[in-house]
Amino acid sequence: MEILRLIIDYVSAFVLPTIIVGFPLYGLYKKVPVYEVFVEGAKEGFNVAVMIIPYLIAILFAIGMFRASGALDFMMEGLRPVLALIGIPAEVIPMGIIRPLTGSGSAAIVLDMIGEFGEDSILVKMAATMFGSTETTFYVIAVYFGAVNVKKTRHAVPAGLLADFFAMFAAVYVVILLFG
Amino acid sequence: MLNYIWGGLIIFSLVFALVYDIRDFATDTYRNGQPLPVTMTFPDGYQAGERRQNVEVRLDPEGYGVFYGTNERPAAVYDGVLIQTADGRQLRFAEDASVPEPLATIRSFTSSRDNDLRGTVGGFAVQPGISQASGTVLFNPVRWVKLNAIAGAALDFAETAVTIALSLIGGIALWMGLLQIAGASGILYALIRVTQPLIRPLFPEIPKDHPAFGMIVLNLTANMLGLGNAATPLGIKAMQELQTLNTTEDTATNPMVMLLAMNTASVQIVPPVLLVAIMGLQINQLFFSILITTTLSLIVAIVSTKLLGRLKRYRDTDPNRPSQNEPASEGNPSTEAPE
Repeated sequence: MEILRLIIDYVSAFVLPTIIVGFPLYGLYKKVPVYEVFVEGAKEGFNVAVMIIPYLIAILFAIGMFRASGALDFMMEGLRPVLALIGIPAEVIPMGIIRPLTGSGSAAIVLDMIGEFGEDSILVKMAATMFGSTETTFYVIAVYFGAVNVKKTRHAVPAGLLADFFAMFAAVYVVILLFG
Repeated sequence: MLNYIWGGLIIFSLVFALVYDIRDFATDTYRNGQPLPVTMTFPDGYQAGERRQNVEVRLDPEGYGVFYGTNERPAAVYDGVLIQTADGRQLRFAEDASVPEPLATIRSFTSSRDNDLRGTVGGFAVQPGISQASGTVLFNPVRWVKLNAIAGAALDFAETAVTIALSLIGGIALWMGLLQIAGASGILYALIRVTQPLIRPLFPEIPKDHPAFGMIVLNLTANMLGLGNAATPLGIKAMQELQTLNTTEDTATNPMVMLLAMNTASVQIVPPVLLVAIMGLQINQLFFSILITTTLSLIVAIVSTKLLGRLKRYRDTDPNRPSQNEPASEGNPSTEAPE
């Protein structure tokens, strides 16, 4: 298993340089005017980024307000007894709620938890596993749909949140199984 | 759904902020208008004519707890400055001193720019030369903390959003350029032919050999390898390719939703850079727990996308549904979209 991890480490280190150098190199070999083609494609970068802005503002400011209002503490208190029934420790609940909303916020939570419980604690392992195994759902939705101006997202949000919700439970149980 | 979540976030922010502020109001958390007893020590003796002089501030721990009704306790001693102004004497705690709650909130509320807690001094009987004196400090009143906080957060995050979006320009441009070369030189088509059989079942609506497959594969691979900076531009490019198959302008198609769900569940074999930075070497222990969890959540994302897609409300809004009038055919409405 150690070997497998080593291989993955190496692959992930090499894949970017390979693509960045390999694509133009292969283009040259195929007699593509690589410079001209690259610039033609890269032109889009600015427009796409600007297109994303309104979507990102809409999502981020609402999330920022929600965090600043202290609503999280209320939600935690409400969810604590319910989640305790199925074996979810109260300490990891903030992570479960924050993870789909903001990446930097969840990083801050992991840091706080390390300070409070120590690096080796099982609670930190649960929180870090949650962090590592899902993405910031609302950010991804804002950026990806924003880039093509799609406003009606249909079942993207429920599907993404279902996966996040499930990942919260899975993280707790998997960590208990592996380290408990 | 996004409309309700978005509206909910905003409305609940206001509701919770009001609840907190009214509770503060009712319990008088910040003791507005009531002076806090303090003891000041003058290391060089008190000088009457001096406009500003250094002092050491001591707060009685038990008295502090009773005064604010809190379990927090102040440090033994704080550095501070006593300043003589036209309106009387003002005590300023040292910048960024680690004061306990609720003083920390009072500081961030009344002196957010300099971050030094300051209050008006009262009741000191000082004569030149003495080294210690007891008295009180009165802080400016603190009200509607959370309401101010949510308004501030809204503006802050709007700015952050622009910063984030603009910081993506370079990465997006680089990848758009590289992908343009990949398309022109034919690498993309080689990639599509190899990987298509693997992912076509998840995206049955995309016509065979469509460039979108190449982008999707590159996006998912970058995600797996923890290359977040490359994954986002590749995902955007994939969305653009999918948008060319969209018959509407503003409604997500089934493949788009699937790509989104797979990205939010994020198949990460290599943990994200941020987490590695936080956890250091500890991350090695978590390799398998993350791998198992992320794989399980990916499966849930795929299955729930497929199942939710069968609900009537989502079938009816599918931009590529077979016809406006007749009901959608069983399972996936496979549409070979027009060019």
